[in-house]
Amino acid sequence: MEINVLEKNPLKLRLYIKNIPLHILNSVRRVMIAEVPTMAIDSVVFTMNSSVFYDEYIAHRLGLIPLTSEKALEKYKSPEECREAADRGLFTEDCFVKLDLEGKGTGEGLVTLYSGDLKTSDPDVRPVYDKIPIVLLANNQEIRLEAYARLGRGKEHAKWSPVSVATHKYVPLIHIREELCKGEECRKCIEICPKDIFELKNGKLAIKQDKILDCTLCRICEEACPYNAIRINWKENEYILTIESTGALPPKKILLEAIKILENKIDDFIESLKREGVVK
Amino acid sequence: MMFPVRCFTCGAPIGHLWEEFKKRVEVGEDPGKVLDELGIKRYCCRRMFLSHVEISYEILNFPKVS
Repeated sequence: MEINVLEKNPLKLRLYIKNIPLHILNSVRRVMIAEVPTMAIDSVVFTMNSSVFYDEYIAHRLGLIPLTSEKALEKYKSPEECREAADRGLFTEDCFVKLDLEGKGTGEGLVTLYSGDLKTSDPDVRPVYDKIPIVLLANNQEIRLEAYARLGRGKEHAKWSPVSVATHKYVPLIHIREELCKGEECRKCIEICPKDIFELKNGKLAIKQDKILDCTLCRICEEACPYNAIRINWKENEYILTIESTGALPPKKILLEAIKILENKIDDFIESLKREGVVK
Repeated sequence: MMFPVRCFTCGAPIGHLWEEFKKRVEVGEDPGKVLDELGIKRYCCRRMFLSHVEISYEILNFPKVS
């Protein structure tokens, strides 16, 4: 297996992976979306709400705010245990982080409460972005609430998914049959390509090498070419994996956690096969 | 109502960018350029900004009476 990093920044990771079977890459991708745990607000207790917004509306907005979860993964109990505790109304410290929000509208204009106004009981779990507006308060309107965040998985609710985008795509193979291509006279594929990957070099049709990975394999160039000179194909066992994090976990951590979880699942599978006597 | 915390389609957090977007567009900047500079690339996220109507300012005038 050969891996090249195409792009890497605190929120995004793009990898060019060679010699990996598609089903394995897809399993990892799906685990990233649905199984890697993060922190998110799950229960909200309102002690005061005289704003114009319904409790449910505010609770929903709170739930969608990404919380930093890197250290929380080791610190707190698993999503399954904590879900049970929440169902029974036990907001224990080994499962839940408490976030308080308080605010009152003043005479001068509107007051906006931001995610940064949430006071957290654990500094390791705090909103990733401080400028997300939560509620608007006019004069004399007041809000007091306690929100409880816990670990959860994307399959339970999308707010716990650590990624906003997790995709893999094929690597394009563009074949130009030069004996059929009319080059300068035609230009049809150059004009129609939505990703602008063709160009003319010395009167001949060529591919911009730095842009070839942008190709979405839409095949519009194949259709547009009157001489049947272009064939689009893809490389076997080569893929581009793109991960875009919500900020709760860094992309690298998401990938490593996903692989760990997938490994545990397969170990569990072998264990149960052995227990049932299917394999020895 | 208020500007959504996340994009409806892809789930990327966008709420924190709204106030800057609004401020800059009100001064007369081109919305498309502002979105580019804020790093909003996908059209699902871009339409969240472009099509949003701040209706909450009107609702604020009708507080709950209970």
